[in-house]
Amino acid sequence: MSAVEQLSRYPVAAVEFANIILTQGDAPIGVTPKDVVWTHRKTTLYRYRSTQRRHPLPVLLVFALINRPDIFDLRPGHSYVEYLLDEGFDVFLIDWGVPGDEDADMGIDSFVCDELAWGIRETLRASGQEELSLLGWCIGGTLVAMHAAIEERSPARNLVLLTTPVDTSGSLYGSWVARDSFDVDLVAEVLPSIPGAGIDWANKLMKPVTNWWTTYRQLWERVLAGDGRREAYQPMARWVADNPPFPGRAYREWITWMYKENRLVRGTVRLRGRRVDLRQIDQNVLVVTAGADHIAPRPGTLPLLDLVASEDVTHLDRPGGHIGLMAGSKARKEIWPEIAEWLAERSDQ
Amino acid sequence: MEGKPTPADEARRLYEEAEGRTARAMEDLVARDSFGELLAKVTENALAVVKMGSDAADLVVRNLRVAGRRDITGLARQLARTEDKLELVLQEVERLRDAVEAAAPPAKAANGARTRTRNGRRRAGPGS
Repeated sequence: MSAVEQLSRYPVAAVEFANIILTQGDAPIGVTPKDVVWTHRKTTLYRYRSTQRRHPLPVLLVFALINRPDIFDLRPGHSYVEYLLDEGFDVFLIDWGVPGDEDADMGIDSFVCDELAWGIRETLRASGQEELSLLGWCIGGTLVAMHAAIEERSPARNLVLLTTPVDTSGSLYGSWVARDSFDVDLVAEVLPSIPGAGIDWANKLMKPVTNWWTTYRQLWERVLAGDGRREAYQPMARWVADNPPFPGRAYREWITWMYKENRLVRGTVRLRGRRVDLRQIDQNVLVVTAGADHIAPRPGTLPLLDLVASEDVTHLDRPGGHIGLMAGSKARKEIWPEIAEWLAERSDQ
Repeated sequence: MEGKPTPADEARRLYEEAEGRTARAMEDLVARDSFGELLAKVTENALAVVKMGSDAADLVVRNLRVAGRRDITGLARQLARTEDKLELVLQEVERLRDAVEAAAPPAKAANGARTRTRNGRRRAGPGS
């Protein structure tokens, strides 16, 4: 391509680039058909429609309190929910919704002892089963682990914990918020619900050049080369930009317990008087870590493998980032089948 | 001549190298203890400004005899608490209904009727 031809492409590419950025909010995400099974406050339990359920044990997907759970169902053709349905699973999703200032009183105990426990109850009622599999991602994994640790008679048979923070010592995020000068009580007092944009900003600050420059530079280069891959870029960009607030009390407890005092791994978290002792977990456990995860670094998840009392513990460590591991372009061929296979072996009566 | 980089390729390589180095340098920077300290101070300052702005805005709105954010939040919180109580009552009703069904003669359960769930849909097993 001559220099003149190359230059002539710039105005067209600039318009295309701007169009991809400006219309990313319209990208369809989370479109797999589903029904509302139960709601409470901002929480909604969904069940995905399927005509080919083969495994009786339902799978309940639990995402973090930051970002939306649509990442499980990113876009048609690249949706983990779609994949699980194709594999014959009965898939449920608990969506924490978009908390407001009125939810400032919701703490970690509200999510573990109420929302998650009640979501599990409704999943069992809707599926007609007595047991289920729980699949938690990021903070969602920690909530699932907490549930399994305090509920002696939990109906969970299988736990899948994806990039789950357990021991935060030495983490970059910890170096910011664990220090005394970061006054989390003041944050929760001034902001009844912590704006999602602020949390997203902090997450992006961990890799500032990559998040605020390289992503857009790479998109520009692809657009210039005539391969903008709009259908791949926009859903992920929309999901990344969609940050619900974090309820103030839950944020204060999360930062204090997990980062300032690192209580979970020490077994000193208490939820409504019950000690969260990870050694009480006796379910079949699959722990998935990502080698390049900077949000929940691999060393922060590994202690879980030694702590749990389960006889059936599997660990998958795969290359990828915190989100890319499950939502990246290679996930469908690499990690999804491995998780589905692990679940399938443990999901029959 | 194949394999010999063009000036454009070379420029690109140099740029990517520089970007990679900058990225690593920035990641080292944000990992420093002094950066964490600075971030904590910036957060505190931002919160102080937000609090002042929020208090002032609320004062103006209240003096206009209009419901402010705090009033609406208070109302929404009352609704949320009512919903919490309602949820507990519903769970208790469901427990009682399950107990009654379990105690009922088997003939009733064999006529094909299935339990209706709270939201109006029916319980369904795999494949529905």
